Amino acid sequence: MVFKLFGNARSRPTLRVAHILKEMQVPFEFVAIDVQGNEHKTAEYLKKQPFGQIPYIDDDGFVLFETRAICKYIATKWRGQGPALFPDPSDLKATALFDQALSIEYSNFDNAAVNIAVEKVYKPKYLNKPTDEALVAEQVSKLEAKLEGYEAILSKQKYLAGEYVTLADLYHITFGFYIVEEGGLMLFTDEAKYPNMARWWKDITSRPAWLAVKGGL
Amino acid sequence: MTLKVYGVLQATFTQRVLVVLKEKNVSYEFITVDWAGKTHKAPSYLLNHPFGQFPYIDDDGFILYESIAIMKYIALKYRDQGAPLLPDPGDLKATALMEQACSVEASNFNPFTTPIVIEKYGKPIRGVEPDEEVVKECVLGLDSKLDGYELILAKQRYLAGDSITIADLAHLPTGTIISRVGVTLLEDFTKRPNVTRWWREIYTRPSWQEVVASADAKI
Repeated sequence: MVFKLFGNARSRPTLRVAHILKEMQVPFEFVAIDVQGNEHKTAEYLKKQPFGQIPYIDDDGFVLFETRAICKYIATKWRGQGPALFPDPSDLKATALFDQALSIEYSNFDNAAVNIAVEKVYKPKYLNKPTDEALVAEQVSKLEAKLEGYEAILSKQKYLAGEYVTLADLYHITFGFYIVEEGGLMLFTDEAKYPNMARWWKDITSRPAWLAVKGGL
Repeated sequence: MTLKVYGVLQATFTQRVLVVLKEKNVSYEFITVDWAGKTHKAPSYLLNHPFGQFPYIDDDGFILYESIAIMKYIALKYRDQGAPLLPDPGDLKATALMEQACSVEASNFNPFTTPIVIEKYGKPIRGVEPDEEVVKECVLGLDSKLDGYELILAKQRYLAGDSITIADLAHLPTGTIISRVGVTLLEDFTKRPNVTRWWREIYTRPSWQEVVASADAKI
């Protein structure tokens, strides 16, 4: 049975999963969920995703949600078929540093990036609501405080978990690309301020798999 | 060399690491970070933790930060002692469900409980008034997410299946503090019997009771 991705063509988390499927060269069927019609809040949907969120996957009857768990599953199952997007699981320390990098994205990047995306892109573009610029400024300064930490790491190594690209790097694209490209913020593309982060950003966002999905599904 | 934990006994993310060390019967040396004196923002500290947070560990020269990564590292390194806390790493689906459960905590629990901890526990310690609006909003948010927990826990004993994992333990520190400051959603048996059954089960583990006792003794 073909791998099924249930989500929304415009949703960034859905796109994150599609990106990793492309990286690993896994054919999949995209099933659109009617988010505007609140399909994801129905009792039927909650059987698959108890929190009523998108996306989720169905891999021949194995149902999984939460994008980071899904992407790790894909990168593990098809490991031999695409790039190795995480270290050899038998290497305890390399694995721990990879897990550390995953948490860095979640603790220091995701929340501010999502909040900026909501204000700068979702609200004006899809909800016809004005951007709360004060909130954007607050979130940008929260994010900028963390970018020093990124710069320190990336001045010593090529990627967040070491010398090889991993899922932890790629997860930053999901909202990072959005706020840079559509939100018009410089942030980590500022070569004068964060030369190593800018180098890293250019590297991860020029991957063919990302270029193939960045326009949407 | 003894594993060293740098943190604060009362800090929720430090407590996550301690509960796993106790589950695994690993001896360790605890080094208190002087957060009031801002040790964790000093350049020498940033060499070990570039984001200036705690906890971090030093395991014979191997430096690691981020509590979930540390929990996993300890659980993997000492897989054969204490409760396993992780599925067999060779089991693809069980591992994916454990990671799903860790993400559920990070997406649907911690974003609501940590602000309550900051407002109702952290701020009063520093003599600052809590922002009750933030608390109200987070209680409402958590209340709705716990419906998802109830659906999961009606079908299985723990969040990742029928065995306890680090994902369950990750809930303990903030869950305990919100109960203490009067947010009793986890203990309302009539509203969500399975959540409460699960919460009581993890809360009463001897490992967690030891962590709570040492935090309380130090205040």
